Order: sequence, then C-alpha cells, then structure tokens
Amino acid sequence: MLALLAATPALPLDEAGKYVAGAYIVFVLVLLIYVGIMASKLQRIEKELREVANIAEDRAVAKDQAAPGSATEESSISDSLTSQVRGGGAA
Amino acid sequence: MYGKGLRTLSIATVVAFAVSLSLVFFYAPLEADQGFIQKIFYLHVPLAISALLGFIIGGAFAVAHLRTDNRKWDAYSYVAIHISVIFAVGGLLTGAIWAKASWGHWWVWNEPTLVSFLIVFLLYSTYYPFRYAIEDRDRQARYASVFAVTAGAFVPLNFLAVRMAQSLVHPRVFATAEGGLPGSMLLTFLISLIAIALLWVTLVKFELVAKSASGQVRRLRRALDAPGPASTSRIAPEVH
Repeated sequence: MLALLAATPALPLDEAGKYVAGAYIVFVLVLLIYVGIMASKLQRIEKELREVANIAEDRAVAKDQAAPGSATEESSISDSLTSQVRGGGAA
Repeated sequence: MYGKGLRTLSIATVVAFAVSLSLVFFYAPLEADQGFIQKIFYLHVPLAISALLGFIIGGAFAVAHLRTDNRKWDAYSYVAIHISVIFAVGGLLTGAIWAKASWGHWWVWNEPTLVSFLIVFLLYSTYYPFRYAIEDRDRQARYASVFAVTAGAFVPLNFLAVRMAQSLVHPRVFATAEGGLPGSMLLTFLISLIAIALLWVTLVKFELVAKSASGQVRRLRRALDAPGPASTSRIAPEVH
C-alpha cells in the first residue's frame, strides 16, 4: 500500500487544493453527523428494548410466583410476545 | 427483514468509494480550464443527481402507498425523501465551495441551476413540518404521500425548465454540442455516481432497519400493555 502511494503522482494541493479538500471534508462531515444521529437513535431503541425485556421478565417472575411449577408456559412468554408482533412492518 | 443484504451492500459501497476516489485523484486528467478544482465535480454532481432521483423514487413509493394503502410504502417514501434531503444538503454545500473556488462567490442568485435546486431543497424541507403537523397517523401518511407525489412530479419538470433556460455561468457538461466529457472523465464520473447511488441505497436500507426495529419495540410495548397478570404497566402512552 505504501509502495503504491509512493508511486502515485503528487496531488497539486495549491490554492485549489484547499477548496477540493474542503468539499470532500464537508461531505464526510455530513455523513458523520448523520451517523451520529443514527447512533443516538439506536441507543434509544436499545434502551427501550431493555425496558421491555425487564417488564417481560418481571411478568414472568410474577406468573411464576402465582402458579409455581408451570415452567414450560413461563419460558414461552417472550416467544408469545414475539409471535404477537410477528408480521410487523416499518414504523 | 429490512437488514437482509445490508452488510453486502455496505461492503460494495466502501469498495465503490475506494475505486471512485482512486480514479478521481489518480486517473482522471486535470481539466484544462478549471484545473484541480474540477475534482469537486465528481462529488457534487453525483450528490445532486442522487438527491433528485431519490425525490422521484420517494414519489413513486408514495404512489404505491396511495394505490395499495400499505403503510410499508409510506415508510419507504419517507426514508427515500429523508436521505435525499441529506444528499441535497451535501450537494448544496459542495456546490457552494466549488462556486467560491471557480466564480469567486459562494452563491449566484441569477443562475437558474442553483436557484432551482435550492427551491427543490426548500420544498422538501417543508415535508417534515407538514408531515408531523398531522397527528392522525393514517391522515399523516396519506397527506405526506400526496405531497411526495406532487413534489416528485415537480422535480423532472423543474429539471427540464432549467435545461431549457439560458445558463449564465453554470456548466452544461452532458449532451453538449461539443461532445461532453472525455472518456476517462466520463468513466470516473460514472463510477463516482455508482458509489454515491450505492451509498444512498445503503443509507435508505439502514434507516429502514432502524425504523423497523423502533416499530417492533413499540409493538412489544403495546403487547405488554395489554391486560394480563400483574397488569400494572410502567409504560408511558405512545406519542406520535
């Protein structure tokens, strides 16, 4: 890679170079801002998902205490939840 | 569901960008008139073309939504317009930098190409407040689709009007009487266009995955909110 870079001709980074570099940097910055916004959205989704998982677990424990010994039914709670939402599309 | 093929698409986008940038800086010859500044062309023009095509694609998805009443198409339309607006911002900014370097001004108000693109951008900037001003989700989707179809039809009309107008300073690169771009520049431009188009598709898919995941979580919340054992819910009501 270094040999390839060494063999390539030098870029004419004079007066025009700063504008060309500026344009490409602006493009990268716009992309990075978008990725940053998406990262915060994904963090929020992860947080919500954790909350939902906690609630589902609490319910499983509550059900376990109400009817001890029904292990098969308890373990399928998350499955039944996902089956309820199956077939969902985009928001 | 929407994440299928995203990894392959991302890799293809990165490879296309690597090839494109290599061609731009190490293969395409320097333009005789503008010199090195013309390298912005390989970024600015594909961004503008992708944004305009994205707006039209958003309109086509909106037509599908209005015809089928399937909310999936509304989501597609929204995401296509959203990513296109981001690309339009990139096109405007890189264009302003090129204008400053080439013409000595950041913006030229009597140039139809620039002003028309700004009008299209501002038109689509009103899509968000228009959409989210409507609370009822069905009406929101329907009205947003009508907006997307109308604005999507405006884009090619606007493009044709600008092509027919007498340009003052903005170059007409394609389909000129002189024959347009030389082969090496055209190849570099086409590869750059493919790279930017792949980026557009990747980001649309990425956004759809995020929206789908968010929707699934909301559905899970609703399912948990349904009456059941130990039904004291800690979940706040959903706000659109």
